[in-house]
Amino acid sequence: MKKYDAAIVGGGHNGLVCAAYLARAGKRVVVLERRDRVGGAAMSEEVFPGFRFSVFSYVVSLLRPEIIRELELPRHGLHILPLESTLTPLREGAKAGDYLAQWNDHDQNRRELARHSPRDAEAYDEFGLELHQMARLIKPILAIAPPDPTSLHPRELVDLARLARMFRNIEKKKFNALWRLLTMSSAEYLDAWFEGETLKATKSASGIIGTMLGPRSPGTAYVLLHHYMGELDGVFRAWGFAKGGNGSVSAAIAAAARSFGAEIRTSAPVQEILVESGRAKAVVLEGGEEIRAGIVVSGADPRRTFLGLVGEKHLPGEFVESIRRFRFRGSSAKVNLALGELPDFTCLPGRGPHLRGAISISPSIAYLERAYDDAKYGEISRRPYMDIVIPSMLDPAMAPPGKHVMSIFVQYAPYHVNGGWTDARREALGDAVVDTLAGYAPNIKSAILHRQVVTPADIERVVGLSEGNIFQGELSLQQMFFLRPAPAWARYRTPVDGLWQCGAGTHPGGGVMGASGRNAALAILGGHA
Amino acid sequence: MRFHAIVIGAGVDALVAAHLLARRGRQVLVVEERAPASRDFGWVPSQVVGELGLALAVDAPDPWATALSQDGGKLELWRDVRRTSDSIRRFSERDAQRWPDFCRRMAALARLFEQLYLETPADPLNLRFALRVRGLGREGMVDLMRLLPMPVAELLDDWFECDALKGALGAMGILNIRQGPRSSGTAFRFLHHHVGSPEGVFRPPRTDLGSRLRQRPGVEVRTSKVEKILVKSGRAHGVVLDRGETLEAATVISGIDPRRTLLELADPAWLDPELARAVGNIRRRGVAARICFDTSMKSTVYAPSLDYLERAYDGVKYGRVSERPYLEAHPTPQGTEVHFQYVPYEANGDLAATARRLLPGLENAQVASILGPADLEREEGWPEGQPYHAELALDQALWMRPLPELAQYRTPIQGLWLCGPATHPGGGVAGAAGYNCAQAILKEKN
Repeated sequence: MKKYDAAIVGGGHNGLVCAAYLARAGKRVVVLERRDRVGGAAMSEEVFPGFRFSVFSYVVSLLRPEIIRELELPRHGLHILPLESTLTPLREGAKAGDYLAQWNDHDQNRRELARHSPRDAEAYDEFGLELHQMARLIKPILAIAPPDPTSLHPRELVDLARLARMFRNIEKKKFNALWRLLTMSSAEYLDAWFEGETLKATKSASGIIGTMLGPRSPGTAYVLLHHYMGELDGVFRAWGFAKGGNGSVSAAIAAAARSFGAEIRTSAPVQEILVESGRAKAVVLEGGEEIRAGIVVSGADPRRTFLGLVGEKHLPGEFVESIRRFRFRGSSAKVNLALGELPDFTCLPGRGPHLRGAISISPSIAYLERAYDDAKYGEISRRPYMDIVIPSMLDPAMAPPGKHVMSIFVQYAPYHVNGGWTDARREALGDAVVDTLAGYAPNIKSAILHRQVVTPADIERVVGLSEGNIFQGELSLQQMFFLRPAPAWARYRTPVDGLWQCGAGTHPGGGVMGASGRNAALAILGGHA
Repeated sequence: MRFHAIVIGAGVDALVAAHLLARRGRQVLVVEERAPASRDFGWVPSQVVGELGLALAVDAPDPWATALSQDGGKLELWRDVRRTSDSIRRFSERDAQRWPDFCRRMAALARLFEQLYLETPADPLNLRFALRVRGLGREGMVDLMRLLPMPVAELLDDWFECDALKGALGAMGILNIRQGPRSSGTAFRFLHHHVGSPEGVFRPPRTDLGSRLRQRPGVEVRTSKVEKILVKSGRAHGVVLDRGETLEAATVISGIDPRRTLLELADPAWLDPELARAVGNIRRRGVAARICFDTSMKSTVYAPSLDYLERAYDGVKYGRVSERPYLEAHPTPQGTEVHFQYVPYEANGDLAATARRLLPGLENAQVASILGPADLEREEGWPEGQPYHAELALDQALWMRPLPELAQYRTPIQGLWLCGPATHPGGGVAGAAGYNCAQAILKEKN
């Protein structure tokens, strides 16, 4: 029986990143993936003949640049195609038939904003500067293993002091601005900057992604910042799209891991993490195969890892309690469409550059808030928020010639939907999405060749994310930093010796960042993360 | 006549600040537009009582609240922790067992805040502050870190299953703010309203602090309206009253809201434009109406579940009165006062009928008055009807209250100070802001 230094549970992007860093340091590593392909939620699939989709996650921007650099991902096939714009079509109210477009090109963007509000066009650069500064403050924090502030252990105290110094060096004004971002709602935060309803709504939408919160809920301003983090390093500007779909992100990381000698096994579902006298010894696959390893690293979310694979009996009661109350509540769905022709938007007819960017159905804050109201009480949003991209516009290989694939991120579709998820309800969600979209692009219904609806229950079933939460646990302040996933266990270690965690359920969280996987690997290697 | 200090507004904080300065030999004049008749809401810190040698009448109803459940059941919440456990047991054995532990852990956090509230707000990165937080011990620290940003609904769901209990407690998270129990930061507000209360009591008391101070000699109180704060070369030197009279003083202390103080009474040109913009963005939306009935009833809360409260909040986001509001009734010498939340600024509709329908005992009561936020602004001087003058949300609390630049009670105009509930620690605590402001002034003078 071959002995490994590390067995990694789950071949999602964080598991793969962790494997690559460990292998690069000379460790013998095996990655065990339940499905027949790697990538977890970052994967591409030919769902309908000739049509390839990033079935779950669909854009990149947050993947840490140091990972791209250190693992040489471009050499392993990663190619990012930038999304040039965000279009928000309007259908109701005073501006019906109009639209708001945000462009990567600074001057073009300013002209468009000024068309709606000269004041907002003025404020936009200043707003961008503040978010940029805030992102710069947060950035170093993404790459550290959070110390335990309740501990008296000298090492933890040293790290705490270092962290405190980091914060104390921040100009007070910036610290306060950061605190505001952490505690405010995205709507209130944006109210202080802008007057244009559509601009505020479209900006605030990135604050609700993946959350069970509305734009008026405090805490969403931070999620907005979290999604802004990608625009930072000039590695790729704004949001981008991976050539070949998000599966190519995973494929590139997997290729990097393999090049360092890591072994990656697919169709190898882990059933149990074997704990003997308080120490993780091995993983047991469904079918009984036992794979022994020096350490076990779990990329699965905290609930699956601890309450499923490890089992409560090996864990302290207080820790089990913390994991039980760790909140997931998935709220996002995907609708993937195979299209015979491009959508024709009433506000901007024909084929234009706007189809090469994102299209956001977020006409007003009230629209988003209403969508949330439905979900709060367990209903699908009647008029959902949607973030739409047409990957085949950037990468024609995703669809047969002349045809297209459309990826629609939808909120809200609560995991705990009244009556539970059924086929009928799944189709009802698909209909709500298509009907809403048809209000802006009337030809969409006749253009649809195939439709795939992915509910949070599907995400849980297929990818294994508890309650379909795309961040492996909500990104709320009480579940972040040294509380993610549990107090005192935020440094990738666990109460079980030899068992580590590397998924997005740890600091700094989800969004195809890879930071959790990297931080975990560095912590395991004893390097100062 | 020349005074050492002129205090604008006559909330309890203004009066406390005035009397503390007077005790140190200052000539102090209070200029108030009106003398509120109602009793004062909020814990009065023992330092305030002690320093001023007050003998206050503090309401301590027992039970401190009777919570109504959706099916008409009654949950009595007593000052005695065990006795409350017995009440809860009729609804849930598990909750009854958890109640004492919950009370103990919340009280431990409240004790920390009792200290923090009697000081100018601590810098969160200050070492002394960090050590004090560590003094809570591991359990307390984890509780604090988790609780501060949390929605009160999550906090209570972690502990309890009884809807009426969670509703009655959760109401303190949303009291006087335009948020629902599922909004982050409401757990902090729940704790805020517990500060100063005995273990197991989750309602701030009512006292006669204001009327006591108003009768107390040593400070001249004048009923008039301040039109203008006089500023010369960046220094406040007096006020102009509505009758045109000018009063000089080296120190001007405002107990009214900062937006009006700095943008209307003083010339905003004295502020840095960025700060002026921030002052203009201080959120202070009122969300409740006050209805007075002529019939007396005991302290009752109608908040039968957290979902009920959340639904009550939904309407107001779109400018509507809650059809099924959060109600809280308490007895007054004249009858019963009902807190009706949520209503928009211009509250319309038959609020009294809704209250009568939901609160047993008021079926035949006559309405003495109904005041919505717009009325309360006019009658009580609460900006936009917000009794705390600035919404108590995490981004407007502690060292950020009402803005980081104003949190030390000072303003950029020399000699002009803020002491109202818009400053730390804020409404729901009576007199602490006035106390802290007076200390800061005395410290500077010495």
